[in-house]
Amino acid sequence: MTARITVAWALVGIPLAYGVVETMRKAVTLFTG
Amino acid sequence: MVPPVLARERTVAGPGYSRWLIPPAALAVHLCIGQVYATSVYKTALVQHFDTSLTAVGVIFSIAIVMLGLSAAVAGTWVDTNGPRAAMVVAAVFWSTGFLVGAVGIGTGQLWLVYLGYGVIGGIGLGIGYISPVSTLIKWFPDRPGLATGMAIMGFGGGALIASPLSARLMALYDSSYDATDPASVPDGHAVMLLFVTLGIVYFCFMLFGAFTVRVPADDWKPEGWDPGEVAEKPLVTTNSVSAANAIRTPQFWLLWVVLFCNVTAGIGILEQAAPMIQDFFREGADSSVSAAAAAGFVGLLSIANMAGRFVWSTTSDAIGRQPIYVVYLGVGIALYLVLALAGSSSTTLFVLLAAVIISFYGGGFATVPAYLRDLFGTFQVGAIHGRLLTAWSAAGVAGPLIVNKFLDAHGTPGELVAADYRPGLLTMVALLVVGLVCNLMIRPVHARFHEGSGRSEHEEVSA
Repeated sequence: MTARITVAWALVGIPLAYGVVETMRKAVTLFTG
Repeated sequence: MVPPVLARERTVAGPGYSRWLIPPAALAVHLCIGQVYATSVYKTALVQHFDTSLTAVGVIFSIAIVMLGLSAAVAGTWVDTNGPRAAMVVAAVFWSTGFLVGAVGIGTGQLWLVYLGYGVIGGIGLGIGYISPVSTLIKWFPDRPGLATGMAIMGFGGGALIASPLSARLMALYDSSYDATDPASVPDGHAVMLLFVTLGIVYFCFMLFGAFTVRVPADDWKPEGWDPGEVAEKPLVTTNSVSAANAIRTPQFWLLWVVLFCNVTAGIGILEQAAPMIQDFFREGADSSVSAAAAAGFVGLLSIANMAGRFVWSTTSDAIGRQPIYVVYLGVGIALYLVLALAGSSSTTLFVLLAAVIISFYGGGFATVPAYLRDLFGTFQVGAIHGRLLTAWSAAGVAGPLIVNKFLDAHGTPGELVAADYRPGLLTMVALLVVGLVCNLMIRPVHARFHEGSGRSEHEEVSA
């Protein structure tokens, strides 16, 4: 069950992390110009 | 009727099934349908492809949001009756078909097909998908419903964060002349068509993962060590059940409808014009001290605040209660909006901070409302009641931009205004938040005559 939970969270967590990182990179321009 | 494999009875969890598999199942659906807030990435491409106006293309999004509210309201009872798996599969079919029909519309140059596909068909998938995991999550997490719904509805905010950069990359792949890093570069219609086909297929697979992972708890299941008696000890929390048909006859439902409407409208007041707004607030003559790139960064920051607010504030509501957290959203929101309107142009840092907290309250309002409904009406048909309440979102989606644009149009074009031009619109939002705050404070426990199993009398006094 632990492995299944890990895989399930990875499947949604990895795309979400990608989205957050990409957006943060864009947001940095607010402070750098 | 649904095929046996999708039937609610087939999705009852066996002993030992972990409830921590339910949030990723819900997120799989919400991350996909959250794409609806990433339409700006191909908006200009569609304007050029169809040789039409920005307004005509914007109608696609408006139809989808209106259909979201309508389908959630109409299909809510069906979702509660047939369970989350059937609902998620239906949502996946509608959402993906919407993309594919939309792709045919783009490929054949017929905008009405995009309205029908992405707007109407996809919009139905949005509504059913949005409410599909809500009542299941609340049943799995009776001890922490705010945390559970916060995780899922955070996914709706997160969906746009994924879809926006992913769509830009895919369009660059399908159209070699398109440079995603150059704001002036626009992909051709063929690339947008292929993007729609790709998203339709990928979202269908991802949503099916959610559908076949989700389970409903057995009737006698409860979290280990959790005492249901604790629930009844909290103010405004019922252990009784109210049907969806009865819920909409209660003052509590309509008070909460107004609360959600006011909170969402106020949030849209900033989101609608975020990029030009920050430039206008710091304008001196023709130039702004905030560059276009920095303004785009501001929009990204608001997206993060919107998503984080959904999780953080909804989880906080488990500790402090639903009515008090809405007092924070609306009451503190009033103070923040006032400072933004009257002193927001004094410092960029202050402006960004105020806007980020306001938008986090906007997201928090969405994520906390299912748990508020659970508190007032019980778990019996909370999904269907939530679906009906989402019509407030559709109404706010129309009213918010109308209010903002009406005030701004009187002064000029966003991107050429100054901070003072935004003041009437922002102060109108303050008034709306006051209305929402009063409605929230008027909410009392639902009268016993609306409870399931009670002898209902039309003439009994209603406690509101």
